[in-house]
Amino acid sequence: MAVTGERDDPAFPVGAACRIDSRSPWREIAEIAVGLDPEGIAVDNLRRRAFVACSRSDFVSVVDLESHEVIAEIATGAEPIDIGLDEETGRVFSADAHSDQVTIIDSATLEVETALPVGGYPSGLTHVPEFRRLYVGNSLGSTMSVIDLDTLETVATVDAEPGAGAIGVDPTRRLAICVNFVAASANFYDADSFEEIGRLELGTGTCAIGIVPERGEAFIVNSIAGTVSRVDLDAIEVVEEIRTGQAPVGLTVAPAHDRVYVTNRGAGSLSVLGVADGAEWSQIPVGHGPGGVVVDPRNGQILVANAGSQTISIVEDLLAARPPAPVVEPPSPFIGDQLPPFALEDYWTGERKTNRDWAEKKYILNFFASW
Amino acid sequence: MREAARSGLEVILVDIWEGTEPRPEVERFCDMWGIKGPILLDPGAELAGALGVRGVPTNVVVDSDGTIRAFGAARLDELEQAIDDLYGRG
Repeated sequence: MAVTGERDDPAFPVGAACRIDSRSPWREIAEIAVGLDPEGIAVDNLRRRAFVACSRSDFVSVVDLESHEVIAEIATGAEPIDIGLDEETGRVFSADAHSDQVTIIDSATLEVETALPVGGYPSGLTHVPEFRRLYVGNSLGSTMSVIDLDTLETVATVDAEPGAGAIGVDPTRRLAICVNFVAASANFYDADSFEEIGRLELGTGTCAIGIVPERGEAFIVNSIAGTVSRVDLDAIEVVEEIRTGQAPVGLTVAPAHDRVYVTNRGAGSLSVLGVADGAEWSQIPVGHGPGGVVVDPRNGQILVANAGSQTISIVEDLLAARPPAPVVEPPSPFIGDQLPPFALEDYWTGERKTNRDWAEKKYILNFFASW
Repeated sequence: MREAARSGLEVILVDIWEGTEPRPEVERFCDMWGIKGPILLDPGAELAGALGVRGVPTNVVVDSDGTIRAFGAARLDELEQAIDDLYGRG
């Protein structure tokens, strides 16, 4: 059963005729358990399935988008992180970071077709039907692999920078952009010659990119900086820094190109950012530690991979336009309260540690996960 | 975190949501990032759940009397502000 958000927002334009009559800007459709540490998601519009790269399980979960059930788990190489689907060939590509390969899956039979070697630690990929190309960012190799979608031959391996991962392509400008997490930069290449034509210094922890070609703009996520950079693709310069929720990591452009969706790994939420105004229109709660995000082209529903919950969330953005009131993140209700008593195992010694071990001290609890 | 260390604050890492036996994952993480400070394991996310933690990283700043003074503060500027507030600076 769908759950509608109960946030008490002021009145604002809500949804088109097909959308529900609600004051809430979002609706939860489902949360579905998948494998460990789900990261990338791809939608098979033809067969109504989602492919979810579960990096700690070394498999891809296949989710039926009508029944919301997992119907298969397909073994890949080690640590599949990102994933894409080419509708023309029906091939699914997973970037298996720890195997330095891309696994290719037949989306009809759900069988592995083959695996292609790429550079060290491939952590991002994007396929471009217009070019019949698959681009893979190799983080440890500091390279970008370019693969022919039809022949599966590697046509180029291009130097990038440490932490190469997410890749965006602007078909109209014939521009490929490789985002480098460690170097906090982006390299701009001519998509035909692979010649580097520009470079940008960005915020720390650059990790996702989306392109709006008709505006000549890219939106690049800076995870540690907690911002999204708006980049002018003709000038190759940052024109705006947009703040989002805590620790943004994933980004996708809405089909109408009027907004982008950004997952906030540190907040368990999805920010809705206006493309034209650069404002945060809404925050949609999802599962814990969200990362990969994609829009189902059939119905506009948003699929989010929650690494912490080991689930995918399917939610609906009900906003028709920018709401009149800006997003205000409420402070934690626990501020001003006493820290709850705890007794947790010390990783180094195996002893139980409690609040009393830090009595009368000021300290910071930094909640983290190794993924 | 460097700012926290400069302020004399102890930073206690709390590992959550591994979905599997956490020790090997934490070991790999510490090796990769050279971490040597205190680390607690919260595999069932009991403390995290009690505090309403929804994402990582999440920083919870605790005063000497056990009062929670800040929550979230994943951005450097937010963390610096939280530390300044904790010490009554600026």
